[in-house]
Amino acid sequence: MKELTISSDAPGERIFVLGNEAIARGAIEAGVQVATAYPGTPSSEILENLARVAKEVDMYVEWSTNEKTAFEGALGVSICGVRAMASMKHVGLNVAHDPLMTASHIRVKGGLVVVVADDPWAWSSQNEQDSRYVALQGNIPVLEPSSLQEAKDMTADAFRLSEEFGQLFMLRSVTRIGHGRSDIVLGEISRERRKGSFKKDPGLLVYVPRTARINKPLMLERLEKIRKAVNTMPYNQLNLVDNAKLGIIACGLSYSYTMEAVKWLGLEDEVSILKIGTPNPLPEELIIKLLTSVKEILVVEELDPFVELHVKAIAGEHNIGVKIHGKDVVSRIGELSTRGVTEAIAKLTKSKLPVDFAELDKLQQEAAPLLPLRPPALCPGCPHRASFRAITTAAQRVAKDYGEDVEPIYPSDIGCYTLALNPPLHAVDTTVCMGGSFGLANGMARVVEAPIIAHLGDSTFFHAGIPPLINAVYNKANITMVVLDNSATAMTGFQPHPGTGYTATGDETAALRAEDVARACGVKFVEVIDPFDLKAATETVEKAMRFQGPAVLVFRGLCTMIELRDKKKAGEKIVPYHVDQDKCNPKCDACIKLLGCPAIIKQGDKAVIDAALCTGCSLCAQVCPYNAIIQE
Amino acid sequence: MVREFNILITGVGGQGVILMSELLGKAAIADGLSVRGSEILGMAVRGGSVTTIIRVGEDVYGPLIPAGKCDIVMGLEPSEALRNAHFLSKSGLVILNTVPIIPFTVSLGQSSYPSLEQIVEKLNSITGKIIKLDAAQIAREAGSLLAANIVMLGALFGTELLPLKIATIKERIEARFPAKVAPVNIKAFDLGYQVCQQAVK
Repeated sequence: MKELTISSDAPGERIFVLGNEAIARGAIEAGVQVATAYPGTPSSEILENLARVAKEVDMYVEWSTNEKTAFEGALGVSICGVRAMASMKHVGLNVAHDPLMTASHIRVKGGLVVVVADDPWAWSSQNEQDSRYVALQGNIPVLEPSSLQEAKDMTADAFRLSEEFGQLFMLRSVTRIGHGRSDIVLGEISRERRKGSFKKDPGLLVYVPRTARINKPLMLERLEKIRKAVNTMPYNQLNLVDNAKLGIIACGLSYSYTMEAVKWLGLEDEVSILKIGTPNPLPEELIIKLLTSVKEILVVEELDPFVELHVKAIAGEHNIGVKIHGKDVVSRIGELSTRGVTEAIAKLTKSKLPVDFAELDKLQQEAAPLLPLRPPALCPGCPHRASFRAITTAAQRVAKDYGEDVEPIYPSDIGCYTLALNPPLHAVDTTVCMGGSFGLANGMARVVEAPIIAHLGDSTFFHAGIPPLINAVYNKANITMVVLDNSATAMTGFQPHPGTGYTATGDETAALRAEDVARACGVKFVEVIDPFDLKAATETVEKAMRFQGPAVLVFRGLCTMIELRDKKKAGEKIVPYHVDQDKCNPKCDACIKLLGCPAIIKQGDKAVIDAALCTGCSLCAQVCPYNAIIQE
Repeated sequence: MVREFNILITGVGGQGVILMSELLGKAAIADGLSVRGSEILGMAVRGGSVTTIIRVGEDVYGPLIPAGKCDIVMGLEPSEALRNAHFLSKSGLVILNTVPIIPFTVSLGQSSYPSLEQIVEKLNSITGKIIKLDAAQIAREAGSLLAANIVMLGALFGTELLPLKIATIKERIEARFPAKVAPVNIKAFDLGYQVCQQAVK
């Protein structure tokens, strides 16, 4: 029996999926013909899974260079009358912000949906922004699922709604939806395939000032229709009980925590619950019904008080005297949990807690000092570790030219290499956004007397690194810009990008080289470096940093995870290194203290290499002052 | 009808934690149960802590186990079991692989690793039900060190607390692995099952 997958034509059957697979399935059911994205946790698996079945389901699927390009591509498809989806993480939505703000003015022809994955607690992100505010600002209606089933259903339905109302829609996921797992029931797959056609319509598509003025009122009319329609959409559900102690408004995934909390407290017959699946616009009629039926309201939502503010406004406008709680009792920081919601409801209803949470907290506090730190680290054999060793060694030398106490500055970026923040590498001084390393370096160079060497990865370079590189050339910034080229978007799962030579669906294509781009942009000092030739690499970094004007270095070394996978496939053996204990000086620890490689551990007072983890990269052998590390 | 059954599996990247939850989830569906769960990927690259959650039953809505409500904590690594101890219910059970994985932060002198006695003592303050086994040794007996996670899966079924059929999970294991290594994994499952059965008695 062939196992059912997200591409199976098996309506009514149940399959076990990751949330991002559920969203991908929704797009397949909707007959989406074009899907675009740039990888970003927790959204990457949506496009990854679509890419895997693209040919089978007749969909064009691409990894775009960045989220702006991804969204613009989808918009272009929609304008030509075909259904398109762009998916991205929350901070990626910022990159696409410019086209998003105008796209909502365009009456949609082919269904257009932007999927955004927020990351409460910033598990894999630089912040925990709430994308619903972007939707509000951009006049974009939002669907927010409470479960994986709903994530699938809403995705499919969003394209129908987008066409019915002529409006761009947003699906808001969060980490626990995208990286949640559950069974879902499959729906029908639409086999409709449209041929795109472009109809000239400057009054709708050419945004000179007049066009915005013509289309804004039309857009507001469309939104007004949606505002009325959400009251009867199945995603919003009001369950009123008689003489309720409390009314709860729960948005998206928070509904699942709320349902569990209410059951845990045994309050099923004592609270009224309004489930919200459309935070923008909100179902105002349902909200008024709830507000007028109770004396006290609790709004449960992850991150910012988005629904709460609107509910307070509705209560004010309609003069409803009801006390509205939200972020005063439910955390604005991080993810919600059944426990957090249980505590909030218990407090407002004066109920007894089902579990002594204080006792659990005490246990956690007592256990904490016993626990070893287990932060994610650069893998054994990672070329970035070697690159950073060369960069920091050279930068320290060059810094001496500026004065005895001068420290080099290492602006960094978004990727695996951000892990060099940790000891012993200490090679990350700033991380703000994609491309921000080169961007910040441009500014710093104007005001500090210190050597500046900024770094980002290959995928990040193509995403947002080129404009600040051009800026450095144009404005003559004296900085060194490093591209750590491991031929993958490694942190998010090794997705291909414009430098890798193949597309999302595995087709061969041109492989762009960062050094060619840099030279074409007018950089006069450009060198390509082998990270594992430590001595030569260090010398080249030093030269680049002493060069007057912008310099670019490309450290090229394949991501070790991919290299190991390829070697395994080819049946190549990995020959690990080991420590000759007779030569090892127990007082030295250079290999451990300089590199922080997870394969090197201390046994007794000597360094030992874990042969199961060692990839044979040779870096430790190159830093050992006693030549005690040798290949077997 | 199953109302709510919560399993938390925890370990270190590379131990096969996610694979266990996939097998369990698919088996649960085959047995007609509804499943919810969650995992943390992304930063949990090789060597980092990994935790995955599997919940079955009619009363389950959310992806996370509420603190104090976990029926079984599966610790593939002892200190990671302790890190998640606060999820345990007072009537809960711990299945503990006693083989530690010492992180590099200990070599760097940034942190220290607790003794197994300290870990067990803390876990004991919540529940007395702790099953200890050396999953690596048992996996070696089965024929592959890589099968330690399947040994743990066998132990999980050996508790006889799961609302899942043994035949179904074995079907999933056979379907998941190439024919060459499937028998080793089935053996690993059986050995884990037996060790747990003896411990329960």
